[in-house]
Amino acid sequence: MLRAVFRVGAVVVLIAGWVTACDGGLAPEPICARGLIGLCGTIHFRGSIPDSTDAVFVAAYLTFPQTCNDLINNRRPVIPGSVPYTDSAAAYSMALDPGTYHWVVAVWKKVGMLHVSPADTALLRVAGYYRNPADTSQPGVVTVPKGAAAGDVNFVAHLDSLRPATDFVTCTAQ
Amino acid sequence: MHGTIALLLALALSAAALAAQGSGGAGLHGTVRDDQGAPIGHAQVGVRGTTLFTRTDASGRYRLAQVSTGTVHVRVDAVGYAGVDTVVAISADSASVDFQLRFSPLTLAPVSTVIEKLPHFGERPATSVAQVSERDLDRRAVNTVDEAVDHVPGIQFVNGQINIRGSTGYIQGLNSRVLLTVDGVPMNQGDRGGIDWDLLAVDEIESVDILKGAGSSLYGSAALGGVVNVTTRDVPNGWHSRLRFTGGVYADPPYAIWQFRGSPGLQGGADLSASYGNDVAGGRIALGDRHSDGYRQQDNDDHFHMAGKTRWEPSPGVRVDISGAWAVNRYDVPLSWCKRGKCDDRGQVFQPFKIDTTERGARTDSRKGYIAAQIRSTLSPQFAWQARGSWLRTHFTDIRSTTEYGVGDRFGTEARIEAHPDSNRSVLVGGEVTFSRVTSDIFGSHTQAELAAYGQSEQQMGNARVSGGARLDFLAVDGGSLTAVASPRIGVTIPTDGRGHDGGVLRASIGRGFRAPTIAERFVHTFALGFEVIPNPNLRPETAWSFEVGHTTGLLLRFLRLDAALFWTEAHDLIEPALLTPSDTIQLQNVVRARLAGVDATIIGAPIPRLITTLGYTYLSTRRRLAADSTTGPLAFRPRHLLTLGADYAVGDLDVGADFRFASRPERIELEGFVDPRRVPVKVLDLRAGWSRGPVEFRLLVANALNYIYNLVPETLAPVRTVTLTAVWAH
Repeated sequence: MLRAVFRVGAVVVLIAGWVTACDGGLAPEPICARGLIGLCGTIHFRGSIPDSTDAVFVAAYLTFPQTCNDLINNRRPVIPGSVPYTDSAAAYSMALDPGTYHWVVAVWKKVGMLHVSPADTALLRVAGYYRNPADTSQPGVVTVPKGAAAGDVNFVAHLDSLRPATDFVTCTAQ
Repeated sequence: MHGTIALLLALALSAAALAAQGSGGAGLHGTVRDDQGAPIGHAQVGVRGTTLFTRTDASGRYRLAQVSTGTVHVRVDAVGYAGVDTVVAISADSASVDFQLRFSPLTLAPVSTVIEKLPHFGERPATSVAQVSERDLDRRAVNTVDEAVDHVPGIQFVNGQINIRGSTGYIQGLNSRVLLTVDGVPMNQGDRGGIDWDLLAVDEIESVDILKGAGSSLYGSAALGGVVNVTTRDVPNGWHSRLRFTGGVYADPPYAIWQFRGSPGLQGGADLSASYGNDVAGGRIALGDRHSDGYRQQDNDDHFHMAGKTRWEPSPGVRVDISGAWAVNRYDVPLSWCKRGKCDDRGQVFQPFKIDTTERGARTDSRKGYIAAQIRSTLSPQFAWQARGSWLRTHFTDIRSTTEYGVGDRFGTEARIEAHPDSNRSVLVGGEVTFSRVTSDIFGSHTQAELAAYGQSEQQMGNARVSGGARLDFLAVDGGSLTAVASPRIGVTIPTDGRGHDGGVLRASIGRGFRAPTIAERFVHTFALGFEVIPNPNLRPETAWSFEVGHTTGLLLRFLRLDAALFWTEAHDLIEPALLTPSDTIQLQNVVRARLAGVDATIIGAPIPRLITTLGYTYLSTRRRLAADSTTGPLAFRPRHLLTLGADYAVGDLDVGADFRFASRPERIELEGFVDPRRVPVKVLDLRAGWSRGPVEFRLLVANALNYIYNLVPETLAPVRTVTLTAVWAH
């Protein structure tokens, strides 16, 4: 009986090994996803990841937001997906309408529920943003052409110096 | 060079003449065969509690000199066979005794007499030991030693650097925290301290023994994480020859966008050896040549090697061995894979099969060789001495945008005395001198001397066998002041059931290991990643305390055996590159304290006849702490989980087998932020089949059968699927 169990176990282990080996590994990675209309690039992470981290996402704004309302309502996309943040760098791609974007920002999100309202800023912090190559103290401007993608939108996200929304916009009582 | 060789030969011959004068006693000889009557080669035959031991040759024959007349307790062990422990009566000057061993795949492999520097007859060592037998080497049909050792549980090769339970990590070409010995002679390079795994052709190797954990109490520097001993084939009596051909093909990249050449890459090679021996003397010569197109761009490798070995037994109980090897390599160096814009990237973020075009033409010319002479004289069953002298030379020329070269010589001598005052006690004392000399445009011209004395004693105390010892090493660089390092060790083994030598054994040991900084680490002056690397002559030795407790079970359910060990290492003053500001230079410094702890477990099972399965798992937890601050994190290049699965099935002349290796993705790499951090877990499946009849043998190996694409170090692709056919003719 025990021998039979062992045999079955050995076969299961071998099949599991085979199946896991069929998955993963290095794979081709286009600089910008094929057919993408939007922008792409690489985020370089610095600092240690806070324990309360839920996600890090990238958002873009056609104009630089002035208020917490702008920050939430003018965000593109409205509900962004997280990028991998556990490595020192992550490639990202985001689909956007053609146009000129004045702020491309990496947003850190604390564990908690978002409601797509200005109150969300309590859970969100600015980790970093794309900067003007000619003057790195200023945000960079990116143009998404019609039917194509803008690449090389690379920037640094500082996970140990996250900045609240109020460092950038005015927020009235929420 | 000729002077050094002549000196080694003269010393060996005069020592042999001196030793031959004092020998006497009776002799025991005979054969060791299996239950089908086939000879068993490489079996250990010894008289328990004495200095007397030997190994059978390929014909299963053995000879033991100096055996006392009367009754003696003889132990015979061989890999894959149940050992025999028996009492033999010897009444004349010479007695003949033949042994028959029963096939028993789950029997523990005998412990090498080299790895512990003392014969062990059925006793298990206090530290974990693994073995790659001649059968494993044949079955796997590999081309270099590291390919075979890579399948041992708890061991992982990272781009040529061996990690035993996470010992070394990865620093390209600058050191190894594992010591390689060939027939007991240390072979780490004199300049960089690394290991040339292709110094010896795999066809010249009989077995490989791996000591896991600090071995500095016997071996000194570099044995911080363990010792790997390669035992070369002995010279059997009579004429023997062996011819081996290999040919293989590398798989194409699995994605068309990664294609980089129009036809598949090929590899092939041939090895030839011939030997003659009789009861007094013997010799063998071997030579071989290999070529590989490689599996990626700029990956050609040409390799030529030759080796020789002689034995001379001028009188009973005296044996002189002189051996040497010489290897020449010329290989392309695909320094790092192509990142976007650095080659024809075809719109890809990276092209792992292509190289950065600025690195076109990078190659290395490497020549290395050694000669070693050893003498062992057994003066009586209670007393023996052994001495050796060796010279290892390595010479490399790296051809890049600039050319760098280095010539390293490592001279070594060792003498030791082995005494067995009674059958329950043994004592070993010895001394060792190593002198390294380097001439290089990046390391400068420097010398390093290491003088050492060591002692170890083993004692049976009731059921327990206790061993303890220490080694004191003195290091001097360029003839300057001495640095002293003490490396004590104590261990104990306790049988846990009443089934004798094949029963359960509990083991525990604690020991200190160290590694002296290599000349390359102290004096390297070059450029890397755009930074100037500056020397640090004040580097101190790395040290570590290693603790282990383990248990090997007897047979469970009549078809299983389990070995498990808990290990814990606290390392101090580990050497790592540090970026200095504001000068923006890199310097190697003693900056890291580290902890490596985990569990190492192996299960071997034979659930049905002719099927042997193995499962090895290592859980490794590491913690790295910089001396300058309290920053902690895992050590670089150490996967938390290592898993190996293996199965072998034999029917008639045919055998088939498979190995699967898994290593989890390392949490941390060195120089993160300066290199491509892309890395994935390792999931490699090897399939193999063999057919042998009489003197002919064919082996088929499909390494990385699933063509899993992965890397072990940044920007360096690991081997793709490779199909190799090997044909061997042995006479």
